[in-house]
Amino acid sequence: MTALVIAATNLRRTLRDRTNAFFFVLFPLLMIMVLGLAFGGENDPRLAVVGSSGSPLARDLTSALAHVDGVEVLRLGDRDDAIDAVEEGRVEAAVVVPDEYDARLAGGAGVAVPYYSRSDRTAQQVGMIVRAVVDEQAARLRVARTLQLELGGDLGANVARGDVVAARFTEMQVTTTTVGTAAFPADLGRFDLTASSQLLLFIFITSMTTAAALIETRRLGVAKRMFATPTRLSTIVAGEALGRVATAVVQGLVIMAGAALIFGVSWGSPLGAALLMLLFATVAGGAGMLLGAVARTAQQSIAVGLLIGLGLSALGGSMMPLEFYSSTMLTVAHATPHAWAADGFATLVRHDGTVLDILPELGVLTGYAAVLFVLGAWSLRRRILRS
Amino acid sequence: MHPSLRIAAKDLRQRVRDRSAFMLAIVVPFSLAAIFSVLFGPAATPRAFEYAVVDHDRSTVTQTFVTEVLGALERQGVATITVTDEARARADVRDGTLDAAFILPEGFAAGLEGEQAAQLQVVGSVDSATATDVARSVARSYVESIDAARVAVAAVGAARPGLTQDDINRVAEETVHGAAPVTLDDVSATTRVLDAKTYFAAGMAVFFLLFTVQFGVSSLIDERSEGTLARLLALPVHRWAILLGKLLTSVVLGIVSLLVLVVGTTLMLGASWGDPLAVALLVVAGVLAGTGITSIVASLAKTSEQAGSWQAVVAVTLGLLGGSFFPVQQSGGLIANLSLATPHAWFMRGLSDLAGGGGVEQVLPAVGALLAMAAVTGSVALLRIGRVVAP
Repeated sequence: MTALVIAATNLRRTLRDRTNAFFFVLFPLLMIMVLGLAFGGENDPRLAVVGSSGSPLARDLTSALAHVDGVEVLRLGDRDDAIDAVEEGRVEAAVVVPDEYDARLAGGAGVAVPYYSRSDRTAQQVGMIVRAVVDEQAARLRVARTLQLELGGDLGANVARGDVVAARFTEMQVTTTTVGTAAFPADLGRFDLTASSQLLLFIFITSMTTAAALIETRRLGVAKRMFATPTRLSTIVAGEALGRVATAVVQGLVIMAGAALIFGVSWGSPLGAALLMLLFATVAGGAGMLLGAVARTAQQSIAVGLLIGLGLSALGGSMMPLEFYSSTMLTVAHATPHAWAADGFATLVRHDGTVLDILPELGVLTGYAAVLFVLGAWSLRRRILRS
Repeated sequence: MHPSLRIAAKDLRQRVRDRSAFMLAIVVPFSLAAIFSVLFGPAATPRAFEYAVVDHDRSTVTQTFVTEVLGALERQGVATITVTDEARARADVRDGTLDAAFILPEGFAAGLEGEQAAQLQVVGSVDSATATDVARSVARSYVESIDAARVAVAAVGAARPGLTQDDINRVAEETVHGAAPVTLDDVSATTRVLDAKTYFAAGMAVFFLLFTVQFGVSSLIDERSEGTLARLLALPVHRWAILLGKLLTSVVLGIVSLLVLVVGTTLMLGASWGDPLAVALLVVAGVLAGTGITSIVASLAKTSEQAGSWQAVVAVTLGLLGGSFFPVQQSGGLIANLSLATPHAWFMRGLSDLAGGGGVEQVLPAVGALLAMAAVTGSVALLRIGRVVAP
């Protein structure tokens, strides 16, 4: 009961300030927009194609590229335009069909088709698609060259011959499926970094770098005065902690709800996602509290908070998806609460999981929170008693 | 000595004494660079994909796929291949032990003889999108070469009936082997695009910057509550000089810490930032812009605790919006345009411009934008500073 009063007072003190509301409402809204536009909806990656319209084989390649599935194609006039588009980020990649395409092939040589791309994962996936189109054309030309060798005649005629025969065949198919209830994501996973990992990063870093608030409370002597009252220290600590966790939780819930409702970002089962976020926010609050209890000055706490916040988030998969971690790094990653929360979200989002499916992750996060709060309370007690 | 310099020197001495300067300027950026290099750098080897193959057909054709195509993947260290049965393979993919499985159906080879299609199935794990993509590519290029051979043989057979088995083999061989007539040539390195590691290092650096430079105006707030501000104001020193001194501390800390991060990531992570003079210019301009922004935020606060929590929210949101964590241009026009209001986007754009080679002239637009940002935010902060400095 007293704990709630302490928490409520803190919250009231915080919210009474208009500018506080500005920061705690406007910026999460901005975050919702960024997350929503980045992770919601269906945006195909973009490819610039510079074609050569002169000669038949070049036209075939250009046409195949322009009509490929899963990519939004932008037809551009020349190589420089295409390179500019890539550099400015208007497209993820560009492919330029060289003017001498037909000439080189007719002469029996090979042709290299220049490809420009950005270095992120989406661009890599566009690369795979483009390579597949080019390989298709290459296969067609291989047939034609063999026919040239065996039957004579020029390349163009043999390409036509090969096409006629190929039309009678049904192509061998490669079908890709997944196991289990989730459908294989048809989109190319525009960002492998999910919205959830960015949310975890936000919650944890803001918690760690605002730990200074607790130092302020210590400095102001408020904590000491509270301790002088007939209130148990644990209640005081609980009150302080509750206030800070509540802010983080409310912000997190607002962001999740906003991104889901306005932009269609998927967080998985609502109950599971909310629980997961709640527990993670509690862990973050606990870490912030421990830092606030231990650090001597505000600057110190921000420096350490930033190091731990960014460092743990990086190790825990907020900056590079856990999918790419080597097995040693995966073990290291699971020393952080982030990796567990990320696993939980992966189960909810990719495997259509429910609360029951993420019980292990929820359990681990509860454990982290418990340990951090016990340590935090103990440190705070020592600090107050010593001063 | 000019009063601003004296104030800055005093502040820096204080920071050195409480060791927060040391931490912020050196320990934190260095440790971050070390962590990043462990995650992404030369030391991190990407793990091999775990594939299984299920061969229901057991023909020469399918065996060739297993030993030659998949075997090549194993020899290159790209993947480890296990031969297993279908039920086991599906179970392993479902629980994540395997990334993907190739399933060759019965009658695969027989299907090749005629004109009917055979089907090669790839079963992938939702948690291993990349591994499944790669498996799909491998399967597709194999299938394509087989199709090409079939077509070639049929075409030759149509023109010259009565092919012997030797002829067939020869035609197939000619079609499948030998240099590809068309290849895709990735020449991205010549463009002004940052490589993944440098993009990451740059994004983190500018994100981190907004935290290190926030103390300038915040310390003014502290001084006000501690009572030393009143004493400062009583001196025959213009209040602007006081502010300038405080800001100078931020700028010095910001520049030192960013430089440590640049050097650290270059040495440990293998990031390539570009021409040193141009990078230095970008760093200074970025620090100035960051200082301006954090000054405005701090000037709105009543206590440094408030200032601190707002700075955190602003830093993370601007970092997300500015592309520190993932490229925002892909999200479309609105976000891409909004991101131009952040120092992060300009800092990284400057570095991208440098990526294709060249020197100072490449970064001038970005430096210009950052300095303009610094000027605007700095002026607003200065105008508001009257409120902060009021006793």
